[in-house]
Amino acid sequence: MLKVKVAGVGLTKFGELWNRSFYDLAYGAATEAITDAGLNIKEIDAIYVSNMLFGKVDNQDHLGAVVASLLGSKVAATRIEGACASGGLAIHGAIQGIQSGMYKNVLVVGVEKMTDTGASEISTALMGAGSEEERQAGLTFPALYALMARAHMQKYGTTREQMAAVAVKNHYHASLNKKAQFPYEITIEKVLNSPAISNPFTLFDASPISDGAAAVVLSANSSRKVTITGSAVATDTIDLSQRTDLTGLAATKAAAGKAFQQAGLTPKDVNVVEVHDCFTIAEIMAMEDLGFCAKGSGGEFIASGATKLGFALPTNTSGGLKACGHPVGATGVKQIVELTEQLEGRATNRQVAKPKVALAQNVGGTGATVVVHILQI
Amino acid sequence: MNSPVKNWREIKKISQQLGRVGKVVTWTKVFVAPTGFEHEVPYLVAIVEFLDGQRTSVQVVDCLEEQIIEGMEVITVVRRIGKPSGEDVINYGIKVVPTQKEPS
Repeated sequence: MLKVKVAGVGLTKFGELWNRSFYDLAYGAATEAITDAGLNIKEIDAIYVSNMLFGKVDNQDHLGAVVASLLGSKVAATRIEGACASGGLAIHGAIQGIQSGMYKNVLVVGVEKMTDTGASEISTALMGAGSEEERQAGLTFPALYALMARAHMQKYGTTREQMAAVAVKNHYHASLNKKAQFPYEITIEKVLNSPAISNPFTLFDASPISDGAAAVVLSANSSRKVTITGSAVATDTIDLSQRTDLTGLAATKAAAGKAFQQAGLTPKDVNVVEVHDCFTIAEIMAMEDLGFCAKGSGGEFIASGATKLGFALPTNTSGGLKACGHPVGATGVKQIVELTEQLEGRATNRQVAKPKVALAQNVGGTGATVVVHILQI
Repeated sequence: MNSPVKNWREIKKISQQLGRVGKVVTWTKVFVAPTGFEHEVPYLVAIVEFLDGQRTSVQVVDCLEEQIIEGMEVITVVRRIGKPSGEDVINYGIKVVPTQKEPS
C-alpha cells in the first residue's frame, strides 16, 4: 500500500518576477520546504528537480546538480521532464524512491523562469511538448486546446459562457491567495470581450506565462499528517489528431482509475481538487474525466457554482493555472503544496471546511502525459 | 529545426501525400503564432480525417473562416510551411484547401 508523508512545503510568489532569477526561485521554495519539514539539508537523501524550459531558454541543463549546489548538498539529484506534467512526474519519482526503501527524505523542487523570454519564443519553446506534425501545422497550445473546445461545444453544446465561468471562479479563488499572479476578480463579460487568441478562445481562457517555484519534502516517516495514498501516471499519443475522442483526455481517466484503486477511494470521497486548467476547457474536461460529473456536463457543473469555495467540491482553490499562474515545471508541485495546506487547515481565507481527501491532476501537452495524486489526512 | 538534411529527407514524402480527400473534424483560427508563422496570422488549422480513416493536424488555406464547418470536404496540396529566417532552407509540406469554391 502506498503511504508517503508530505513532511514540508514551500512556495514562492507566482508572477512576472523581474527581480528574481531561476536560482532565487528554486532556492527560496526549497529552503522553505526543508525548514517547514523541520529538517536540515543534510537529512535530505535525494533531490528531484522538475523543469521544462530552462535548457532551451537559458542554455542551462544539468538541473539536478544545479539545485543541489545551490543548497550545498551532494546527494543524488536529477531533473525530471514531462512538459507541463514535470512537477507531477517528479512527485511520482520521489514517491518511488521512498517506497523502494532507498531514501527516507526526498526534496522535490519545481521551478520555471519564463518571463525573461519573448512571447513568440516561449510559445515556440512550449511547442516542444507537442509533435512534429503539430509544429508543421503552425499549432500552438492555445490552438490545440481550441480544437478540443470546439469538438466539446459541437458534441455536448458546451457554451462560451460556461468556459468563461471557469476563469471567473479561478480568479475569485486567486483573489484570496497572496501568492497568486492575478489576485483579483473578473467577470464573464471581461473573458468574452478579451482579444481572440485562437477561436473559440480569447485571452482570458488561457493560463499566463509565469515565473515561480514550489517545493515539497516527502518522507517515509513524519509527525505531519498528510499522506499520499495514490500516485499514478498514464500516457497517450503525442499527436492530438491520433485520439479517437477529442472531447476528453483518456490518460486522465486511466491515471485517475489507478490512483483511486491504490487509495481504495472513489470520486465521491474527494473534498478538494486541483486540476490542470491550462485553458478553461481543460478544467471542464478534467471534471468529467475524473468522474466528478457526467461526460458532457462539465460546463454546466462548473457554471452552477458547485466547484467554488464554500460549495460541494471546491476546485482550484489556489486560483489554478489560470489565475495563480503557470510556471510549467512548478505547477504539478504547487498543486501538492496547495492541497497539503488545505488538508492541514493552513489555507487561511481560502480554507475548505475540514477536507479529508484531496486530488491533484497534472497534464503534460494535450494529455500525452497525465499524473494524478490522491492525498489524505 | 529546418536543416538542409532534414528538409532533403522529409521532402521526399510529400508526393505520396498529395491529392488526398478528407473532412474537417474540428478547427481553430490562430491569432498568436509561433516563430516562423507570425506573418500568416490569422490562419486556420484543422484536424482532418481522410477517406481511409487516417487523421492529421494541418493548415487550411484558400478558405475563409465563414466557409469552414465540421464535415467540410478538403484536399491536400503542397505549400511552403512557415517562413525561413536568414539563409535557412525553405520548408515545404502539406496543407489542405476546400474542394468546393466558396459560395458567391
